Amino acid sequence: MSRSTRRDFLKKAGIGAGVLFVPQLSLRARASTAPIRIGGSLPLTGAYADTGVWIERGYRYWAEEVNASGGLLGRPVELIIYDDASQVDRGISLLERAITVDRVDLLLGGYPGTTAAAQMAVAERYRRVYVSMGGHMASFQRGFRYSFGAPPLMGEWWYEGAFQWLESMPPSERPRRAAAITANNAVGMAVRGGLADGLGRSGIELVMDELYDLPLASAEPLVQRAKALGADMFIANGFFGDGVQTIRAMKALDYNPKLILQGIGSLIPEWVQELGADGNYVVSGTALHDKLPFKGVAELNQVARERWGLRNAPEYFLFGYAWMQALQQGVEGAGSLDQDAIAHYLRTEGIDSIAGRMVFDARGLPPAYSYTTQVINGQVELIWPLSVRTAEPVYPKPPWGR
Amino acid sequence: MIGRHDGRYVTGVLVACAFLPLLRPQEYVLTFLYNLFSYAAMASAWNILGGLAGYLSFGHVAFFGCGAYVTGLMLVRWGWSPLATAPLGGLAAAMLALVAGYPTLRLRGPYFTVVTVVMVLAVKIVVLNVPWTGAAMGLWMPFPPWDPFVSRVIFYEAVLVILLATLLGVRWVLHSKFGFGLRTIREDEDAAAAIGVPAFRLKLGALLLSAFVCGMVGAVHGHDRSYLHPDFMFDLHPSIMIVLMALFGGRDHWLGPLIGAVAVMIADELLTVYVGTEAARMLFGLLLIVVIVFLPAGVISLRVRRQPKPVPAGRGLMMP
Amino acid sequence: MLLEVVQAVVTGLLVGFTFAVLAVGFSLIWGTTGVVNIAHPAFAVLAAFLALLASRRWGIDPIATLVGLVPLFFALGVVLHEALIKVAAKRTRELGLASMIFTFGLASFMENGMAYVWGPGPRVLNTAYTGTAAQVLGVSVPLPHLYGALLGVATIGVLYGFLYHTFPGKAVRAVWQQRDGAALCGIPLHRVTALAYGLSIASAAVAGVAMGLIYSFYPAGYMVWLINVFLIVIVGGVGSLLGAAAAGLLVGLVSSLSVLVIPFVWTNLALFALLILVLLIRPSGLLKR
Repeated sequence: MSRSTRRDFLKKAGIGAGVLFVPQLSLRARASTAPIRIGGSLPLTGAYADTGVWIERGYRYWAEEVNASGGLLGRPVELIIYDDASQVDRGISLLERAITVDRVDLLLGGYPGTTAAAQMAVAERYRRVYVSMGGHMASFQRGFRYSFGAPPLMGEWWYEGAFQWLESMPPSERPRRAAAITANNAVGMAVRGGLADGLGRSGIELVMDELYDLPLASAEPLVQRAKALGADMFIANGFFGDGVQTIRAMKALDYNPKLILQGIGSLIPEWVQELGADGNYVVSGTALHDKLPFKGVAELNQVARERWGLRNAPEYFLFGYAWMQALQQGVEGAGSLDQDAIAHYLRTEGIDSIAGRMVFDARGLPPAYSYTTQVINGQVELIWPLSVRTAEPVYPKPPWGR
Repeated sequence: MIGRHDGRYVTGVLVACAFLPLLRPQEYVLTFLYNLFSYAAMASAWNILGGLAGYLSFGHVAFFGCGAYVTGLMLVRWGWSPLATAPLGGLAAAMLALVAGYPTLRLRGPYFTVVTVVMVLAVKIVVLNVPWTGAAMGLWMPFPPWDPFVSRVIFYEAVLVILLATLLGVRWVLHSKFGFGLRTIREDEDAAAAIGVPAFRLKLGALLLSAFVCGMVGAVHGHDRSYLHPDFMFDLHPSIMIVLMALFGGRDHWLGPLIGAVAVMIADELLTVYVGTEAARMLFGLLLIVVIVFLPAGVISLRVRRQPKPVPAGRGLMMP
Repeated sequence: MLLEVVQAVVTGLLVGFTFAVLAVGFSLIWGTTGVVNIAHPAFAVLAAFLALLASRRWGIDPIATLVGLVPLFFALGVVLHEALIKVAAKRTRELGLASMIFTFGLASFMENGMAYVWGPGPRVLNTAYTGTAAQVLGVSVPLPHLYGALLGVATIGVLYGFLYHTFPGKAVRAVWQQRDGAALCGIPLHRVTALAYGLSIASAAVAGVAMGLIYSFYPAGYMVWLINVFLIVIVGGVGSLLGAAAAGLLVGLVSSLSVLVIPFVWTNLALFALLILVLLIRPSGLLKR
């Protein structure tokens, strides 16, 4: 055994030494036409892969476009996107790897909120600008100077537009009692965070406020409770899968609230595919949409049609592109890759992207906003604010099957 | 005799590893070794209960998470560094072990194992739904106060120290009356009790010790990540890894789990990078099967033959 | 309030039947060979996924897919026995203990295999009657639950008939009750246990489809179903088919009624607590004869 242990040791030492010295072979001095490297991780496999893959496409399309029109600061951009398999700790170590091993010049944002939040912490430690969806309000209250939600996917702002719409109705028309069920994770809880205030402003009483762990085994018990309590507004702070189950349970139990708010999931094509007409009239929120009138949105819709045969650009394709745009404008505005200069520029001049014009505050956030959507006749329409409205909202929700 | 010299050899290598950071290696190397030492420590400690006494717990990740959360909360509330409070994290884990173990160590075999899984799931639900742990939003901790590379080195040394201490401890246990008693429990618990072995106390002791180590490792990891969430702090996969490492390496030798950890970690790294996470886990599933069926005493048994090969429980009637 | 309770009882019983089918197969293997098959619910999840695949591909109802799934899973059960259990039994003294580990390994293998193929996200079996319910005296009887329960009842009925009224079935019961004695009577243990495994995994397939009609399923979800099954088997005892069935109903009721009294997120915890409680008080089973 001692002989093979010694051999073992030498092998181990040999590999170790090799690994230690290989990176030193990478070039230190860079020519000015060397690419600008932008690195990070995305969930390309695992639970969030469906979304992660579209964000990646948004990033890569942006890189293509930038390189085709002269590059960033005159240099081509190169993306290094690792797969974190939808796991937060992998996201942390891969971002660290991008920074310390690949020595990237800029960082790209991760997904979902929990990973982004953890990566924000890493980026802050290394004093690098990090543009992403953020990890909801809690992550922006840490005093980070280098993180920006551009735009953020802010659960707390999610239903803001819906609440304003409710406020614009005469009080007698508004729902009286609301029942809320919330997926017990960062996103669900963030979305729930805005409820108390929003409902209060319209004089709606919250009679049920239940949490559920994901995955949701069965929605019937929760819906049954809401029906028994006579709630005429139902708020499902969850995701696609549990959202679908909830709608089905409502139909099975013949529960007909006047208004259904849904967290995440009613905006993707699969919603209508799975539910058909039952998926109609559900109201949700978003920070970006393919029907928005901002510069660049129409072109991206066209790209989605040509490349993937879709009717419109998927939401996360737009987000990916928007986050890169923000980073790009920060770099161009600062005129350099200096992280502090970029951060300073974003806070003083702001950006003008496909998500609109935004200037970032000390926390790295633009002023609070949200667009409200409703699925009407199988199409996602914008119903609030009025300036972007694309269809008349349907309220109250017609009973099932009619 | 096999074992004496190897022990010193390996210990020497590990001590030498303490000086590795002076060579300014890639951070990724340090991270890999950091994870390796952590798993090796936990697997070695687990082995006291699992390998020696034969009580297979798939719940040790609960102690890891417990240590992380307790020290993390102390950092958030009172500003105490988890590196200093790690032993307290270990103690908290040991207390959890006491509470969980007292009623459940009376159970045998499969009942005990399933209960350990239930324990992890239960702790996860509790942590997810109790507000002061950060619940489903997770727990945000202040960063370690050093610059990234220095942090990495400090954590690396911390788990190395824990590993060395654990290995010494395990080696002591193996050669002591305590360890001997545990092994008799594995052979035949009732007979052992009949001859006066205080089975329950020994089992409890083994559980508490292994929980303590896992808690300390958890404390260091928690500080390193600076963000805790039940989804990844109470995930069953690390528990499976610990069991696999201990069994694969060899449960009757104090170096066994360490060897198992090295083998499994390397396999995991290669597979995850070149093939994919699920493929890696599928392989570990298969490895578990292969190991327990063909190599119940672990890889180390290929070199070390301490006990006679077990006679299968009767040819003829008992066999299907 | 009364209506809510009645509704919960109805749902609980329906759901209990599907739990019972899953538990019966698990109990069968444990009783005849002392093997604790942690992968049993993983087979159920696999069956649900395959039913999903078949119903998507060929547009048939998931229940109809059982025509193909049951024989397939019977064969899988026999393969499991031949390739794994027999080999393990020859090589180790502590089959029960070892079986926990290698079936855990098998379950992990299957879980990640399924995750690789279908992704880790939760699914539900979609049928023509998903989301519909029969209204009986003000109580909603969701049709998927009803059909799942009927499947469960039918399967338990068939198993009962087989075990009590056919010769091979009686042989299985003999081995279940007293292994050595059965061997002494000339019962070919090898073949009988292979049969038992085939039956067990085949019933897992039915359970998978039945549960898939009611609950969402996902690769890692077998663990939660395992806890339920374990609870049922502990409560009902490893000794009998009917014991497992009755315990299944009981657990279904508890799980359904608990939603009325405690917040939704703690309901799983309540089941776990029940499991630990029963283990401490009467590990050999509450309903053991």
